[in-house]
This record gives sequence, C-alpha cells and structure tokens, in this order.
Amino acid sequence: MTELSDEDLIKEYQDNNTPEAYDILVKRYKDPLMNFVYRFVGDRDICTDVVQDTMIKFYLNKDSYRSFAKFSTWIYTIAGNLAKNELKRRRRRIIFSIDNSDDERSPQIEDKMFIAPDKAADGTIRNEIIQKALLKVKTVYREVVILRDIQDLSYEEISEITGLAIGTVKSRINRGRAQLQKLLKHIYRE
Amino acid sequence: MKKIYNNEENKFSEMLKVLKELPKIKAPDNFEYNLLTRIQNKNFGKTEKERPQFNWVKFLAPSAVVISAIILFFIFFPSSQENNNQILQRTKLQDKQSAVNNSTSTKNELNNQQSVPSSTNLQSNPSVLLGSNDRAARPGVRSRIYDSRSIKLDDYISGANKNQSNTNRGNIVNNGEEPSQYDGLIVSEKPDKKTLERYHAVVDSIKKAQLKADSLKKVQK
Repeated sequence: MTELSDEDLIKEYQDNNTPEAYDILVKRYKDPLMNFVYRFVGDRDICTDVVQDTMIKFYLNKDSYRSFAKFSTWIYTIAGNLAKNELKRRRRRIIFSIDNSDDERSPQIEDKMFIAPDKAADGTIRNEIIQKALLKVKTVYREVVILRDIQDLSYEEISEITGLAIGTVKSRINRGRAQLQKLLKHIYRE
Repeated sequence: MKKIYNNEENKFSEMLKVLKELPKIKAPDNFEYNLLTRIQNKNFGKTEKERPQFNWVKFLAPSAVVISAIILFFIFFPSSQENNNQILQRTKLQDKQSAVNNSTSTKNELNNQQSVPSSTNLQSNPSVLLGSNDRAARPGVRSRIYDSRSIKLDDYISGANKNQSNTNRGNIVNNGEEPSQYDGLIVSEKPDKKTLERYHAVVDSIKKAQLKADSLKKVQK
C-alpha cells in the first residue's frame, strides 16, 4: 500500500474507508505541511495545531476531494486556509488584548530557542532572521513565495492551491521576493 | 514570458538559495498519536472558540425591524390630535344635524297639530334641535365658521335684520392689511334637492309656529 500514489490512496480511503490509507497519507504530508505552515505562521505550537486540524478536516471531509485534482494541492489548500484563519485570529487577539505587550506580537521561536554564541555563527541566527523577514512580507505574497521557493511547488500547483491565475501567481511571487530581498539584503551579501 | 520570469529568478538567485537552505521543520514525534487520539475521542472542535465578530448585518437587521415597527405604529394608530380633524368633525356634525333635523321636522309637524307652546319651547331652547354632544349646541364653544360672516336665522326669517348692515358678511377676500381668520377647510358641496326641501320644510314649520304663537298672544291680550 505504501507504493500507491496519493490519489490512489485517497480513492482507497474514500471507497473502502481503509484506515491504513489515511495513515500513510498523514505520514507523507505531516512534515511538508508543518514546514509550510510554520514558515507562514511563525509559531511551532500553532503550526502543529493547524496541521492537526488539517488532518482532521481531511478525515471528516474525505468525500469532498474530487479525483480530477491532485491530493497534494487539495491538502495544501486546506492547510493554507486554516493558517490564514489562524493569522486573522491572532491579529484580532493582538488588537483586542488589554496589555498590548511585545511578547504577544513576537513569534514564540524567540522564547523557545536559546541562541548559543557558537551557534550564532553557523546560521541559526540567520535562519531566524529569514523567518522574521518572511513574516514581515504581506500575507498574499508570503503564501506563494513559501509554496514556490521553500516547498518547491510548480506554478500550476500554486495556482490550484490559491485559486489564482498563473499570471497572478507569478507576479505575486515576484513582488513577494522583491519585498523579501529588501528585508534580507544584509544577510546574503555577507 | 518564461524568459522574464527566469531572469527574475536569476535576479533573486542568491536569496532563493538562502531560502532553500532553510532547515525543514518536522512534525513532533507524538503528532500521529495525538491525531489518532483526537479522532478516537471525536475531539474535532477547535481548541479556542472564536470571538463573536461585530457584524453590521446583525446590528442593522433588528434596528431596521424596530424602526419599521415604529413607523407602522404611527401610520396605523394616529395620535389624538389627528382625531380633531376639522373636516372629519364637520362631516360628522353635519350628519348628526341632518339626522336630528329629520326627527325634529316630524316632531314639529306633530307638535303643530297638537299644541303650540311646544314650538315656543323649541325656539327658546335651540339645543333641543341639536344633539347634546354637538359643538354648536354647547355654550362657549365657538364654531369654526367665521361669525361675522354668518347671520341669525330667526332674525332673517322674521325680517328683523333687514336694516342691519353686516359689512363683513360674505367678505371672504380682505384687503391684506389684516391677517385673515382661519375658518377651517370647508369642502364646498352642492346641496342636493332633498336636503334643501327638508330645510325648507323646517323653516316653514317654524314660521307657521311663530305666526300661531303671535296670533295667540294677540288673542290673549
């Protein structure tokens, strides 16, 4: 069963409700989705919750998947939508929070990762700066840049995931990259 | 088009390299276990309940209902001031008067046949002719009709006001120096023959009664 394609596995799960097929798909996609959602949201705990919710949505709404689409684009669409909702919720929470402290605004990675001086040199800090810069890019551009340049998806796949025309996807990627480049200039010229 | 985007990719090549070098984030070890536990426990709800958002539609819909209810209330339940509508009251008064006149004309005819003093009673107490609730019958309540333009019917019949010069009578258009007195919105209607005949009969009966009363007075003297 592990040799089956994603589409075959989801068909098997849809037709026969085989839990194995579901497990294999979860194993295949949990890490790519974690990476995508983490780069998009910037919080490991929230990212885990979002991916869990994605898998539960997949479990509950397996029949809403149509065979003409790729499974990967379908599951990325679910994860992307949930991640966007999470971002909106967080933004609202920040606006309405009584003590508007900076702790809430900054990504949790700062609190969780202690940067040792020796590690700082070998790129851990750099990765953190890149992540912070990514979070500063507009949401609409960030999503497509992550999908293209971090997740290595094709323009067609990104177009399917986001529901945008390929031209729009390309221009958004370009704008996102330009924004990111401005923010990261000092890093990759070192 | 492809070339343009390839060129763009070359432009960002350094940055793209940096992005590709980013470490891949992996799911925690207990991810699958937690997921299966949630599925087994049917714990599909979200960890945090969403705050109810302020919604303009939710706010405007009930307020629109309330406003429309208030408007409908004012349309279908007019205020007491509107009940004092002059036209309505006037038509009501006219209806009452005509009804009373009908009954009194028959009464008068009977009274003329039976006894004369009752007609004097009618003369001295004109409120008998009108209903007790009529505005005209009540003392102190002024009729909306401009007084200076009206005449006393009894004097007119007996010819007592022949020499009286009522200059204001019929003077509807004034010279504009004085503000004209508002005398209500009177709908001008052409009197129909039946009501005219009825009024004539009433006037005739009063005349006859008066003549009889005069003759009786002369006889008594």
